[in-house]
Amino acid sequence: MLTLGPLGFAAPWVLAALIALPVLWLLLRAVPPAMREVTFPGTVLLVGLADPAPIARRTPWWLLALRLVAIAALVVGLAGPAWRPVADETPPGPLLVVVDAGWSAAPGWEAARARALAALDQAAAGAHPAALLIADGRTGQGAALPFQPAARHAARLRGAEPQPWATRYPADPATVLDGAPDRFATLWISDGVEHPGGPGLLAALAARGPVTVVPQAAPVRSLELQPGREPVLVLRSTAPAPLPAIQAIGPDPQGTPRTLARLTPPDPAVTNGIAEATLPIDLPSELRNRVTRFAVEGDASAGAVVLADDRIRRRKVAIAGDTRSTEGQALLSPLHYLRQALAPRADLVEGTLAEVLPAAPDVIVIADQPLDPDQPALSEWIDRGGVLIRFAGPRMAASDMLDLDPLLPVRLRPGGRDIGGALSWGDPREIAPFAADGPFAGLAPPADVTVRAQLMAEPDPDLAARTIARLSDGTPLVTRDAIGRGQLVLFHTAANAEWSSLPLSGLFLAMLERLIQGAPGLDAATGAPAPDVPGAQAGEQPFWSAETVLDGFGRAAPPADDLPPVAAADMGAGPAPGVPAGVYVAGEQRFALNAGGPLAPAAWPGAVVEQPGRPRGTELRGWLLAVAAALLAADAVASAMIAGGRRGRGVVAA
Amino acid sequence: MKGTRPVPTRPGDPAAGASARLRAQAEAAAAALPALMLSAERLAAALQPGAHGLRRAGQGEDFWQYRAAAPGDSMRQIDWRRSARSDATFVRERELHTAQSAILWVAGTPGMDWTGDPSRPTKRARAELLALALALVLLRGGEKVGTSGAVPQAGRAQADRIAHDLLDRRAGEALELPPAADLRPLRRMVLIGDFLTDPAPVAAYLSAAAAQGIGGAVLQVLDPVEEGFPFSGAVRFRGVGGALRHDTRNAGALRELYLARLDAQRQALDRAATAAGWRFGTHDTGLPPGQALMWLHGVLAG
Repeated sequence: MLTLGPLGFAAPWVLAALIALPVLWLLLRAVPPAMREVTFPGTVLLVGLADPAPIARRTPWWLLALRLVAIAALVVGLAGPAWRPVADETPPGPLLVVVDAGWSAAPGWEAARARALAALDQAAAGAHPAALLIADGRTGQGAALPFQPAARHAARLRGAEPQPWATRYPADPATVLDGAPDRFATLWISDGVEHPGGPGLLAALAARGPVTVVPQAAPVRSLELQPGREPVLVLRSTAPAPLPAIQAIGPDPQGTPRTLARLTPPDPAVTNGIAEATLPIDLPSELRNRVTRFAVEGDASAGAVVLADDRIRRRKVAIAGDTRSTEGQALLSPLHYLRQALAPRADLVEGTLAEVLPAAPDVIVIADQPLDPDQPALSEWIDRGGVLIRFAGPRMAASDMLDLDPLLPVRLRPGGRDIGGALSWGDPREIAPFAADGPFAGLAPPADVTVRAQLMAEPDPDLAARTIARLSDGTPLVTRDAIGRGQLVLFHTAANAEWSSLPLSGLFLAMLERLIQGAPGLDAATGAPAPDVPGAQAGEQPFWSAETVLDGFGRAAPPADDLPPVAAADMGAGPAPGVPAGVYVAGEQRFALNAGGPLAPAAWPGAVVEQPGRPRGTELRGWLLAVAAALLAADAVASAMIAGGRRGRGVVAA
Repeated sequence: MKGTRPVPTRPGDPAAGASARLRAQAEAAAAALPALMLSAERLAAALQPGAHGLRRAGQGEDFWQYRAAAPGDSMRQIDWRRSARSDATFVRERELHTAQSAILWVAGTPGMDWTGDPSRPTKRARAELLALALALVLLRGGEKVGTSGAVPQAGRAQADRIAHDLLDRRAGEALELPPAADLRPLRRMVLIGDFLTDPAPVAAYLSAAAAQGIGGAVLQVLDPVEEGFPFSGAVRFRGVGGALRHDTRNAGALRELYLARLDAQRQALDRAATAAGWRFGTHDTGLPPGQALMWLHGVLAG
């Protein structure tokens, strides 16, 4: 900022272009109009004649002056002049610099850091003590801020980076300000978004001296995934301007990460200064299942990135079976319950086994159907990563070929078992709580779900390892075996309500969903077990460890070596210090912890808000540029008039 | 009639250069000749020369009268067919025909090869056309016509020679006036050119001609551009084929001065011609040539 009397210039170096004006003057003046050359026999009669009314060889001085004034106005206008600007000065005395350092500060981080450094330099020049509070939730927690010579904070500030979680203020401002001078000024480099504890801190700071707030110039945008049957993305922005598009990024068929699709947000609804738009993930399954992250185009912050986990993937599920036999008895058909359970959650394909296999589904469900011993196509499909889910039933129980059936996770005892029937002793059995490391971890079996009949497994050393759900008496309800990269899952009870009330319960849906979401997918590189919101239910793995973490700018990186595993209870609260946004893994489960969420514009009652990036005062730039444009237009008109006047005096000879 | 500039020659090889030039000229002349003859004939056909006899007996071709033979008439003069019808002998007299000859001259100054508009003929082309058409008219009237340096002769064949001479002289010296050797008594001369240079030599030539009793006409052929001077703005004028140059910043304002000079030039030429008993006329190549031909013929016949 250069100040000349009442004029200030934001970019004074542009004024150096003014030295070109005299050169321009000479150039414009010296250039004579071009002379036409004409061969003319009558030249002999012309020799010795003097021009009686010589036309000026030079541009008229007033036109020249017009041009020079226009260019001078342009140059001065570009230098960003302001009339009576107010310099960015903080009052002398001790200074506290508060820098918001959550992900929402990432878009304007360089400017914020430069502004804070400038303030610290100013304080250092004045030999005032200064303190630095980087509001990333890690500094100043529970300890008094040291007021030191300002230069000592500069290095820490230069090394600071926005964090992949929201800005956090000290929980107790009084503790932080313990030991601070009685009066001090505060410069608050804000990210422009309301955070918990902000008003309290502001009140505490305002009580000790003037507070200047520098809000972030760049808009803050956040992207959030709202899970559900049809997950949607919610894009929020503090700027009401058109929302940018969302990029869906994932590996292309060659495995190179690239933008697979661009989702254009609809017109946002603006409430309370926040524009909000909801985008359905409207992509073909093949594309959608490859997406690894969604990112707001042109925005570099952890909140503008949604890492995709299996909540976004949409599986292709095939139901293979013979539909003729149960025609007219929909509620008795085992396929009916499967169809009802799967149709909202997955792309459903139905047909015979030979028909559905070419469709390359991720999961094939076969209900109560003994398979022939020789199934090379199906075996190969499982080997490539398919998940075959089979249900027992009366037909399987009656089959005498069960020994020869190759696609069963455990050997079955023929005949089955009937509990709670007229000829049995026991009561129908409930389902035992699920193991914490299994695919059903976290699901709570309701007490009213009972199983009346099941197929029994032959005792086997592997039986316990292959059982992923069992009845209250310990007999297997669901068994699983891995073949190649695929899985073989068997429900030992039927898929209709004949043998158990399981298909009537919500648990049936949840179990199927877990199995389907956990399907690795055909030819997929990673096996991705089913996710859920961690910490919601008891009985899960207690710790999650990070697989990939984001930094504050939304760049993915492997986690630091010293990042400790995260307690499941902490995962539900969202990203926090020590819990950066990223992809976490616990046992078979994989969960993407995303930073984006609701936004609220911050308010600073009682504080001086500094408009960022602009010197205050009367801006003259627009006026000067307008004057320059008007003068240049006048110059064009005047030049045309002069040229027209010359031409109008006579026809130009050939 | 364009493209008849001399072929440039190499100074080190005169023989080859001369031969090449000759051939080029011959070709150019052969190409231009029929067109020139055709247009000149078309032009001359429009002009019917009136009776030209001197209304007295003398040497001529047309019958004039019979008269009785007188002593001193030779036997060969007696018209025996007429004499047989009566007793007296008669002599057949013919009408006296003048034996005047005309010399046609087209100035060879470089400026003559110029036209202000490609759609118009060059001044030289127009001048040659006028000269040849005049020659045809005169030959039809029985006059002897020739170009400078040639013996004037009568007869239709002379027209071809004149055409050849005119085209040949294109490659000759750039003379404005014919050589003084052409000045012979009892001749008439027609000088066609642009006469933009100093009028003093023309005046001197005309007075020398007048001293020998030679009358004639001076026709100044100019392009409409030279007559109107339609220039404006900054122009550098360059003379044709010379180092002459004139720069101006405002050619439009020069027009009046130029026209005044042109007028003065014409008046000087007119004065010189009148003083010598000649006639001075002007012709604009933008106009049809018939008028100028009429004027020339009138001058010669009068």
